[in-house]
Amino acid sequence: MIRTRARRRPAGFFLISIVVAVVLAGCGAGATAQPATVGPSPTTAIAAPATGTPLPASAAPSQSPSPQAATYPLSLTDDEGTAVTIPTRPMRIVSLTPATTEILFAVGAGSRVKGVTDADDYPPAVKQITQVVKLGAVDVEKIVGLGADLVIAGGNGFNSPDSIAKLRSLGIPVIVVYAADVAGVFHDVELVAEAAGQAAAGTALVSSLQGQEDAIAAAVAAAGARPPRVFYELDATKQIYTFADGIVQDDLIRKAGGDPITTGSATVFSIPLEKLLVADPELILLGDAAYGTTPAQVAARPGWSVMTAVKTGAIRPVDDTLVSRPGPRIIEALRALALAIDPALTLPAVPAPSTAP
Amino acid sequence: MSIGARSLALARARVGRPARAPSAGVLALIGLGVLACVIVAAVAVGSVAVAPGDTVGILLRAIGLPIGRSWSPAAETIVLELRLPRVLTAIMVGGGLAVAGAAFQGLLRNPLADPYVLGTASGAALGAAIAVLIPFRAVFLDLGLLHVLSFAGALLSVAVVYRLGRGGGPFAPLTGLLLTGYAVGSLLAAGLAMTMFLAGSNLRQIFAFLLGGLEGASWLRLAFAAPLIAGGSLAIVARARVLNGLLLGEEAAAHLGVDVRRERAVLLALASLVTAAAVAVAGLVGFIGLVAPHLVRLVVGPDARRVLPLAAILGAILLVLADLGARLLGEIPVGVVTAVVGAPFFLALLRGTRSAYEL
Repeated sequence: MIRTRARRRPAGFFLISIVVAVVLAGCGAGATAQPATVGPSPTTAIAAPATGTPLPASAAPSQSPSPQAATYPLSLTDDEGTAVTIPTRPMRIVSLTPATTEILFAVGAGSRVKGVTDADDYPPAVKQITQVVKLGAVDVEKIVGLGADLVIAGGNGFNSPDSIAKLRSLGIPVIVVYAADVAGVFHDVELVAEAAGQAAAGTALVSSLQGQEDAIAAAVAAAGARPPRVFYELDATKQIYTFADGIVQDDLIRKAGGDPITTGSATVFSIPLEKLLVADPELILLGDAAYGTTPAQVAARPGWSVMTAVKTGAIRPVDDTLVSRPGPRIIEALRALALAIDPALTLPAVPAPSTAP
Repeated sequence: MSIGARSLALARARVGRPARAPSAGVLALIGLGVLACVIVAAVAVGSVAVAPGDTVGILLRAIGLPIGRSWSPAAETIVLELRLPRVLTAIMVGGGLAVAGAAFQGLLRNPLADPYVLGTASGAALGAAIAVLIPFRAVFLDLGLLHVLSFAGALLSVAVVYRLGRGGGPFAPLTGLLLTGYAVGSLLAAGLAMTMFLAGSNLRQIFAFLLGGLEGASWLRLAFAAPLIAGGSLAIVARARVLNGLLLGEEAAAHLGVDVRRERAVLLALASLVTAAAVAVAGLVGFIGLVAPHLVRLVVGPDARRVLPLAAILGAILLVLADLGARLLGEIPVGVVTAVVGAPFFLALLRGTRSAYEL
């Protein structure tokens, strides 16, 4: 049977009307909408030149937090070996990793930080700063719109190499940092401080951090215990995730008096349960404790009961935000890990912070 | 009587052309007008607000009109260096994929064919994934190893599929080609899965490629892709009559004087070249290449001389809009937008349209 239908409008009108409606909506948006304005009005939304001539002095914030005068243009080599030239003292700094934001604040450049990521949470003042990274995606347009004159990015794939290349092609100096160990974090503190024109503050901060690290190292050595085999759990809901080899957390656990069980590869972060059983951790640190993982859950997992750590009940939560952030609070992470590995350890008191926020 | 006219008469006899279809010329004009409007909208809107007047001023000044600069240099950078190349790349990629899709659908006489059907996608994806694993950073013309290897991978896999599938084995040539494409694609997909497993922390980069995205667009990349895509697409459009002939089946086409083997090889090569260039700059943008030609056929019928240019315009419009949506939603993958918006739109059109056509 052939179904017949009443005459309809030709399909063309249907198609065209939809396309036109969509487009008119688009054009309307173009004419009126101003999403995510970064300034009080469209004309002031674009703050400062990114590639053109330097700002007139009157437009720049008047006082600087630190009176020292670094000499600009400043040439630096970043952690990827790229030579970066910063033409003038940066007044509008964008930080693309939470750790570098912490460094900038710790060396007294916090008031000049104009863009951060959606993962930033320390110091609390960062919550008021424009977010230019959302769910890992770098909004290059917003960074240009902020008039950034210095961008600090994370290497080793933390920020997409495409975005970094794009920012550089637009004439914005980008310093890429990546630390593979605690010494590397100290170097990054000094590098970022120097780029921001706070070299002296950076050197002072690092010498204070180095002093604290030495004191913890001395306390760990004095305790004289054989380093226990430590498994640091990032996540075990589906696969088991822990640290790859040769990353800063690997070094942290060693310095805190442990013998880390890593994945055996520099790029892989998952470890098969069989391999973990053979490694037989004597201590399990729960980096995922903040997501609700408890020692009781770990002990109840099938197969885990044969591990020494589970038998002796050596399963302890740690603050993963601290441990996973290679910034100035790395020594706090070291202290927390040392105490988690050996709760009986006596550590020297934390010195009062020597730099203003 | 020319091949085209005869084949068109036959095509009409076979599938019928919708009665009272709007003239293709009028549709093309409307399409170009809509495209212009979409371009302005896409350049004017973004995560930073640039006043519409300033946007127009910046564009007019860029093409040489003597207009005083009343906007900040940052606004100019955003419009000219970030948004404009991105929108133009979207036009190229969307238009190119639509033309390539129409060509593949016609060549293979299969409505499910898209630009990726003969292994292009899996070849490009494997190339890109391997590039992510290789720690090699050299960049030429803004194109890294990822773009080069995905381009090469796409072309290489089509070449392999064509060599292996040409004979056809026990099947008719087209069936043989499709099945070979499927088999080679599966093999490459296994390689891709293995590479992704090994990629570890670089997995995100591979995913971004698989879902497609235009955030890496730049003038230099456009300068690489535009000649390949535009040249290839124009060459395909110029062969629309041959495509009409092939649509009637090999024998009929041969009777019409078409050198079937040769023309099929040429069209496959052109469509694959266009696809590979589009994929290299934008990743695997799905849906456009499948749907844009069908949308156009629903309106104007199957004559390739109308379908190809109109599909190019529609593909360009769709991808610019999809990319605008992706940008406004915080740089989500554009492939997600094309599918989420495109699929229901396509379904509505399928249900609302009475004029049938067959490939």
